[in-house]
Amino acid sequence: MDAIIQIVVSGLTLGAMYALGSVGLALTYGTMRMFNMAHGVFMTIGAYAAYSCVEAFGVPLALSLVAGILAGGLIAAIMHLLVVQFMLDTQDFEINILVATAGVGILLQDFLLKIYGGYPFRQPVQVEGVFKIGNVVVPYQSLIILALAFALIFALAWVLTKTKFGLAIRATAMNQEAAMLMGVKTSKTYLQVLIIAGMLAGAAGILISSISTLSPDMGQNPAVRAFVICVVAGLGSVTGAGAAAIALGLFEAAIQYYFGVRYGLPLMLGLVVVVLIWRPSGLFGRQEVIRS
Amino acid sequence: MTNLSIIQKHLIGVVVLLGFMAFLPTVITQRYFLGEIIVFMIWASVAVQWNVLMGHAGVFSLGQMLIFAIGAYCAAMVMTYLGLSPWAALPISAVVAAVAAVFIGLACLRLGPAYVALLTFAISYMVFVLIITESECFTNTAGGCQRFFGGTTGFSRLEDLGFREMLRGNWVLGNYFTVLGVFAISFVSSVLVIHGRLGLAFRALSDSPVYAAARGLNRTRSQLVVFVVTAFFTGLTGAVYAAHFRSVGPSLFDFSTLLFILAMVIVGGLKSTWGPIFGAAMMMILVEFAKGMGDVRNTIIGVVLVLFVLLLPKGIAGLVARLFARAKTRFPTPNIKPSIPDQT
Repeated sequence: MDAIIQIVVSGLTLGAMYALGSVGLALTYGTMRMFNMAHGVFMTIGAYAAYSCVEAFGVPLALSLVAGILAGGLIAAIMHLLVVQFMLDTQDFEINILVATAGVGILLQDFLLKIYGGYPFRQPVQVEGVFKIGNVVVPYQSLIILALAFALIFALAWVLTKTKFGLAIRATAMNQEAAMLMGVKTSKTYLQVLIIAGMLAGAAGILISSISTLSPDMGQNPAVRAFVICVVAGLGSVTGAGAAAIALGLFEAAIQYYFGVRYGLPLMLGLVVVVLIWRPSGLFGRQEVIRS
Repeated sequence: MTNLSIIQKHLIGVVVLLGFMAFLPTVITQRYFLGEIIVFMIWASVAVQWNVLMGHAGVFSLGQMLIFAIGAYCAAMVMTYLGLSPWAALPISAVVAAVAAVFIGLACLRLGPAYVALLTFAISYMVFVLIITESECFTNTAGGCQRFFGGTTGFSRLEDLGFREMLRGNWVLGNYFTVLGVFAISFVSSVLVIHGRLGLAFRALSDSPVYAAARGLNRTRSQLVVFVVTAFFTGLTGAVYAAHFRSVGPSLFDFSTLLFILAMVIVGGLKSTWGPIFGAAMMMILVEFAKGMGDVRNTIIGVVLVLFVLLLPKGIAGLVARLFARAKTRFPTPNIKPSIPDQT
């Protein structure tokens, strides 16, 4: 029984963080067919921004959290204005944007390394203390992670389904030209989508760093997981990414508990490959397999 | 000249290039520069194969450094555990890399381009994590604990190619010509693939996928064949890397190394034949000059990638082709061909 509680607690925590990381990625792909390789670095930037707010300026924790989230959105906006907007509607966009964002990613990671150095820091933006369910020790931080991740994801769901602004995003995702004809300024929508994705990434970065450490390459591991989650859910499916993240988080927690941390990612990937053989466009994806 | 087919023209170019490379050591004698040219040939070979895969076959694989590392690690392991000579390790590693590619390809290639990129990237990351988290010692040699896949330290002090005994002070030359040989095989094979039947099939598939499929071209199968062929030569290059440096480590999986080679392909120009060679040369020279300015390698890679994708998405090769086209319209050559081609 204790084992199951342990797995559920750590699985949900992992899954919530993965969901936060992958939903933004899925949203960008869904609306603009852009896969952002710099997503992991956006997480890192959010985490470092929150860290700096506390350590250098003594900002209260809650405000630092907000600052970190905003930093993620800001860097995404800058990337859109300097790079992405000039590439929209060009030939081979899908592949070129992968290359360009990978370039942005390595550039930003290099800047972080130059500013903060490679030494890992502890994330100060977190809540101390633990409590017990049965014999299982649960840190308060896990609860914070769950609450914050779900709050942000539900906020996103509300924006997407209930507001006019969300309607514009969904319309653009469905059919860009039709949306333009209906008066949606798609270029503005793209910018907004990237800012949302950046903010979610910033939040994910802060949460992830709170249970491990801060380092310039900390974004790579969660980003790879987010990639895998988006692929298995079907690229562009936002709800699917959220669901797949929770499922894979639980799966990974179980693997880590029974086989060791080392095998979490490999077995998760193995499962994903099996799923893709059965459904080549992901669990919730639109049919995209190339038949010949 | 007009009687030569395209493939023959390219092969003549290759012979000229290889002749030039073979001639270089008579002018450049410093060991440092020869070492740099060896590195250039290794990366150029990887870039050439990647260009075949990504530019021509449309497989956007981010797992090329994984294939390279499989070749390098396999060579190192075969030499360390089985005591084989590096010369035997080269073909074995190439075959192992190709077999690995069959499995990766079967798992990935049915999917769309973005899926392929992400999945190959994730697989390489997974292998990297498995290698660096290995904790049990496989053998305990005098040098200490040797993990089966090398762990975080990798393999070192591998057997050399045998030129130190044969050529003594000039052993670098032996390595130089060995690497040149691998580079030559790799480049010639790429020309044959690009301008042969497979290349033609991919051109047809990208011009009109439906018509090409209706004529019986199977995209996934052709892509798998190219994936395996390029993996063979990438793995071979990896093995020669291991033999030249006499060590292999997990740094091969660095994201920056992957992007360094990707930058070579992008700078040279996707979908070209000669682009990656120029791209590789340009990136090597750029990074070499930047060494004086401190640790800016990754900054340069990032800036170059973004700038080229934004401004010159077809790379140097595309720019040259455009300049040629402009020169042709400005100074048209007198058209002496008959307007209706004869039946020969």
